[in-house]
Amino acid sequence: MLRDMFTSMGGFEIYGMISMIVFVVFFGLLILHTYSIKKKDVEGFSNMPLDDSSKESDEIQDS
Amino acid sequence: MENQTFYYDNKIVKNFAYATLFWGVVGMVVGLLLALQFIWPALTFGIPYTTFGRIRPIHTNAVIFAFVGNGMFTGIYYSLQRLCKARMFNDLLSKINFWGWQLIIVLAAVTFACGATTGKEYAELEWPIDILVAVIWLVFGANMIGTIIKRRVQHIYVAIWFYIATFVTITVLHVTNSLEIPVTLFKSYPIYAGVQDALVQWWYGHNAVAFFLTTPFLGLMYYYLPKAANRPIYSYRLSIVHFWALIFLYIWAGPHHLLYSALPGWAQSLGVVFSVMLIAPSWGGMVNGLLTLRGAWDRVREDPVLKFMVVAVTAYGMSTFEGPMMSTKTVNAISHFTDWTVGHAHIGALGWNGFLTFAVLYYLIPRMFQTQLFSKKMANAHFWIGTLGIIFYAVPLYWGAITQASMWKEFTAAGMLKYPNFLETVTQLRPMYAARAIGGGLYIVGIVIGIFNLILTVRAGKFVPEEAASAPALVKVTGSRESGEGLHRWLERRPVQFILFALVAVIIGGLIEIVPLYLVKTNIPTIASVKPYTPLELQGRDIYVREGCYTCHSQQVRPFRSETERYGEYAKAGEYVYDHPFQWGSKRNGPDLSREGVVSGRQYKPNSWHYNHMLNPQRLNEQSIMPVYKWLIADDLDISTTAKKIRVMQFLGVPYPEGYDKIANDDLLKQAQGIADDLKSQGIQVAPTKEIIAMIAYLQRLGKDVHAAGTPTATITGK
Repeated sequence: MLRDMFTSMGGFEIYGMISMIVFVVFFGLLILHTYSIKKKDVEGFSNMPLDDSSKESDEIQDS
Repeated sequence: MENQTFYYDNKIVKNFAYATLFWGVVGMVVGLLLALQFIWPALTFGIPYTTFGRIRPIHTNAVIFAFVGNGMFTGIYYSLQRLCKARMFNDLLSKINFWGWQLIIVLAAVTFACGATTGKEYAELEWPIDILVAVIWLVFGANMIGTIIKRRVQHIYVAIWFYIATFVTITVLHVTNSLEIPVTLFKSYPIYAGVQDALVQWWYGHNAVAFFLTTPFLGLMYYYLPKAANRPIYSYRLSIVHFWALIFLYIWAGPHHLLYSALPGWAQSLGVVFSVMLIAPSWGGMVNGLLTLRGAWDRVREDPVLKFMVVAVTAYGMSTFEGPMMSTKTVNAISHFTDWTVGHAHIGALGWNGFLTFAVLYYLIPRMFQTQLFSKKMANAHFWIGTLGIIFYAVPLYWGAITQASMWKEFTAAGMLKYPNFLETVTQLRPMYAARAIGGGLYIVGIVIGIFNLILTVRAGKFVPEEAASAPALVKVTGSRESGEGLHRWLERRPVQFILFALVAVIIGGLIEIVPLYLVKTNIPTIASVKPYTPLELQGRDIYVREGCYTCHSQQVRPFRSETERYGEYAKAGEYVYDHPFQWGSKRNGPDLSREGVVSGRQYKPNSWHYNHMLNPQRLNEQSIMPVYKWLIADDLDISTTAKKIRVMQFLGVPYPEGYDKIANDDLLKQAQGIADDLKSQGIQVAPTKEIIAMIAYLQRLGKDVHAAGTPTATITGK
């Protein structure tokens, strides 16, 4: 059935339009969502690479 | 909570780092040899194993999968352990990943040199090695996901999201694009044909750039740039939007490699629109990287690691602006098939991937060896020579590209092509090719200095194979969202759900583009006069693929007057329906060949010309940069495979009559004798069983079917 549907359908241009709408809506909501994250959490996540719990490598700094 | 002590596995990181350096030199030296062959074609040495068509895949695969691939594993194995506060999931899997990957590289180099290739750019590996790649890639994925699951931190950092997207997407791309039916141990035909094959291939090709050369390196940027600058990433919020937008958009952009081709217009338009939109997330990532250095720019002056990173991220920004511009039809009409594409690719490969790889190596090797970088002066020399190398490499190619495209398109006042001989447009570029080789040479000199510096660093230090670390165990929390916990924050601590979300994001674009094209018949109108290749032509086509002719010759005439005047009828989807694989090419170092067999066409040459051209191109034209193919004249055609090839083609839907495989060689020998007789009449004695006969048969077939059809609109028989 799916194959029949695909082989007989036309007007693919609508795919692009739908994709654009999906993209704009999804990422609009995502941007809004990121601003709902607490500042304290954001700071904690941002600092993650700076703490690797290694006992040795942090002692080696560039001269 | 009590602290647990554990040990990071530095040995696997060191192995990958050494492999990165080794394969980097190998891949780039082969690249330099290719560059020199543009100036001195005799540098193929007249043997098959070093011809341009065979070693070009060695160069591209060595740089992408060996140098950048090992660099990616180096960076991931080091950073993943530290971001998860856990040793890699399984040491055996780490070792299998390392040795398996090196084995693949060696097999690739040997098989490409021997001519075992699928003829699809950046996916040339034949089926047994494809399977090995899939297995080793899954081993890497299992090891990575296992490490994430046993982590000691709740939150999965943004760098790891990019690693996850890399693993998920490359798996999908590799499997989809490598679906092929074996003929022999090192020969197969892809299940896709013509336009479908082209779309799947460039969906893969573009996203190999996206998910092998970009997303893992963005992950590395998000870890190593804050580490080197000792500052947190500029905006974590931006990184969330950057990640999802990038992986969602990238997957759609593949068709921009096929503009003005026989690909349906709707697919081309999707590719253009999404390519232009890609500027936003790409530059979001670049800005996030560069602004991480705010307040620390003084350190860039002093720290070679940061210097390499800044140029790498800037090169990423340049490439990701240039790429969308090249995807617009106006620019693409000029840039496609020229050295512009090569210049663009090398800004990305040498600047973004190469420099970021060296930044990572300069960062982690001193740390793993408990010492300091041996010489900052040498690192600075590497940096400046490498940067100059990139400029010397790219600028002449851009110059050459615009020169050549202008020459291709120029008409006289009388309306004739001003440069009807393609070779004129190549000879014009020789100074640019020489400058390009100097640029590539400089880049290699920089690498050699870098390697020497790292060797001295290693010798001065003491390797720590097991680096001690401590962290509290991960507190188990509920799998469902906690009160006040946002959706994305929940997702950031749920690796399996994160993988599924990433998979959905990347798969949408691929399905929407490929499924309709594969299923809908109206997309590929058939042409009644297009028939399957004869057995001799099929064998000749396989030699064409084996020799990598597609690396210099396209088979796709674009619908421009400058092209139809030069070559003949523009390309139509229906003419490629029996082409497993498609051979449209992406670069014209020589002319398009898709109308080569049209007797009344501009490109037509008699059999004797092809024979003499393969024997010694420079004898026909002193300026030619075509390599010699003497072995085609000396070697016998292997006709023991003909029946199997016909059967595989029948299985793929090519309408050879039932039982034709049994008599195919009779037809083959008959056609071969006809060509041998014609050559004899021109004073050339050659046995009909030689490979050159099959090659000539194939070349003389190109374009004949479409020409026989007459005007295209009257002959399209599809709906």
